[in-house]
Amino acid sequence: MNVTIQLIGTFQIGRFKEAVREYPSGTCVREVINELRIPDPLLGVVLINGIHAGTVDILINGDTLCLLPFIDGG
Amino acid sequence: MKFSTTDPASEPASILYARCTVDLKSGSMHTEDVPCRNLEDVLGGFGRSFQILSERQINTAYCEENPLIVNTGLLTGSSAMTGMRTYFSGYSPLKESKKGLPAAMWSTGSGNFGVKLKWTGLDELVFEGRSPKPVYAVIRDSPEGPVVELKPADHLVGLSTHAKIMALQKEYSNAHFAAIGQAGEQWENVYFGAVGLSTDNQLKSGEDKMRFAGRGGMGSLMGYKNILALVAQSSNKIKPLTPEVKAVNINVVKGGGAARLQPISRGGGGGTWAAYDVLQAFHAVPVNNFRPQGNDLPEKLFREHVEKQFMIKSEACYRCGITCHNNIHEKSEDGSAGSFLAKFDYEPLNLLGTNIGIHDARQAARLIHLSDNYGMDSISLGVTISYVLSYNERHPEQPLLNGATFGDFVKIEELITQTGRGKLLEIGRGSKRLSEITGETSYAYHVKGLEIAAYQPETNPGYAWAIAGGHMSMGTYGLLTREGKSDIDSWVTGITQTKLQIVGFDMIGLCKFFDITKGICTQMVVDCLKSEFNLEVTTENLAAAVRRAFLRGLALELRQGYEKGEYTLPAEVWEQPNPNIKLPNITNPEFMAELQKRVWAVFEPEMAGLLPEIE
Ligand code: SF4
Repeated sequence: MNVTIQLIGTFQIGRFKEAVREYPSGTCVREVINELRIPDPLLGVVLINGIHAGTVDILINGDTLCLLPFIDGG
Repeated sequence: MKFSTTDPASEPASILYARCTVDLKSGSMHTEDVPCRNLEDVLGGFGRSFQILSERQINTAYCEENPLIVNTGLLTGSSAMTGMRTYFSGYSPLKESKKGLPAAMWSTGSGNFGVKLKWTGLDELVFEGRSPKPVYAVIRDSPEGPVVELKPADHLVGLSTHAKIMALQKEYSNAHFAAIGQAGEQWENVYFGAVGLSTDNQLKSGEDKMRFAGRGGMGSLMGYKNILALVAQSSNKIKPLTPEVKAVNINVVKGGGAARLQPISRGGGGGTWAAYDVLQAFHAVPVNNFRPQGNDLPEKLFREHVEKQFMIKSEACYRCGITCHNNIHEKSEDGSAGSFLAKFDYEPLNLLGTNIGIHDARQAARLIHLSDNYGMDSISLGVTISYVLSYNERHPEQPLLNGATFGDFVKIEELITQTGRGKLLEIGRGSKRLSEITGETSYAYHVKGLEIAAYQPETNPGYAWAIAGGHMSMGTYGLLTREGKSDIDSWVTGITQTKLQIVGFDMIGLCKFFDITKGICTQMVVDCLKSEFNLEVTTENLAAAVRRAFLRGLALELRQGYEKGEYTLPAEVWEQPNPNIKLPNITNPEFMAELQKRVWAVFEPEMAGLLPEIE
């Protein structure tokens, strides 16, 4: 299946901003995070098609997965 | 502090803290060891100072009975990472109820002043009355204990925060400094004066790399009292690092808590500036007085664009491995760092940048530099200016002041300079008062008289219950954006249970970045207290003390005349819902009404008896 991955902020460094990638059906968000080697402490928000989601959620063909860093006061 | 118990929760009176009360009028002073009343007193910071403030009925901030309390937290000056905080407390010239009574307030900053103050042996300074002449106070250690002296400060009058600190550095070695700028000296016309706190980096480099206790005008209160600066002079008294505290410090730097604030070069998120990218994904970066436009304008101040033009140095307060400062320097031809321009923390950058229509990094840096050097709270300054610009956009035929509009750098710079010099009381007295004069209050972005932080109010109804400024005294600013919570139950729980715990950091002497999501009620803090002071405290003890301190602050607001209707957001939020923000709309009047009902139902019964009776 094809999933559009969007990375925000520092997650783009050494990776990409947006890419359509192929995954086996049944892939969950956690597997994508691991594949992209995004460190857990930095991960703040997971959006699937613009809606907040969790790392155990299963992706389906055509989804857009957006991974955002954590935000912390100012 | 003197400890003759290991159980501060049950036997607080067996712990004494050293307090010096200074009568500024007569110059007399009195140092004593004061027994702690409760765990809040032991922890320190606002947990202690608010108990002192609650013993007084103060009707106007600028009166001799309103004290300025300068204190530290239990872990300030310890070997625990980020243990560098100083707290300034008093009734605020800026934050006031609609009845016109001043609210109790604290502000806090890092830098090295608090550490040095703690090492003098003094835990708290209470400045009473008002000095007839400008003075500065020197606090130093001596074989007989801490010594406090008042000295004439005529040579400091009219200097910026940074210039005062550099002038004092020439006179005092082995010292650190807290200083107000010209804004604090002009306290009658500037209610949001800040206190600059020196850093090692600043003293070594001569660059104006201070940290600030900005919120609520504690620098203006200091100016009213005619205290222009504080000097804390002491030898280094840090205890050897124990294996237990070392383990905590490693966890702070490498574990979940602060990893994301680390420099990008170390695999971190690059400090608070990273919020720009995240919030922009929701079109929730404040633009032009908190009206995001659904476009890419905020991206102009993204780090990736700024670093093409400037050198960004990741720096830290002394001994702190978090390294959260992003200092912007000119880029020399050889690629090295040239002169220092300003710090780019998220709040000042947004509120003196994108939110006033400034999208050029050099211009934003200049405005931040001015705010810091005149000694103003960048949040209150930026938001009051954005109110003026918004008013002028709506009334081009009869604008306020110099007619500045969003993005007009030259005129905005003039407004900031004039405000810092005390020449523009319309801005200097904050957005609440100005909007009451114009009669257009709905787009004045303050809550309870204190300007909100750079998080859209649409994303944070919790602002209403923050007791000392929007984002650092109520940790709900990420509840919708980060956690995706839009249901009322989550918000009631967030405000009344989990997210209020953030204020614990403003008691114990640690930065919030020590562990911002978990607060101070953790095994890490328990381990530090055991190792540093042999204190046996449970996470439950800590949570209860933090909750009592928070509720005491809320009770104090009500006693200063706040009515339930003031626990709300700027009306523009629901009068003109912003369709550009890509998050569920929870800040409608129905949601807020239900939230108010349920939050007060939890808080009110617990607030009974927290304040002393006063005549
Ligand atoms: S977290 Fe940042 S502000 Fe706090 S002590 Fe460390 S470097 Fe200083």
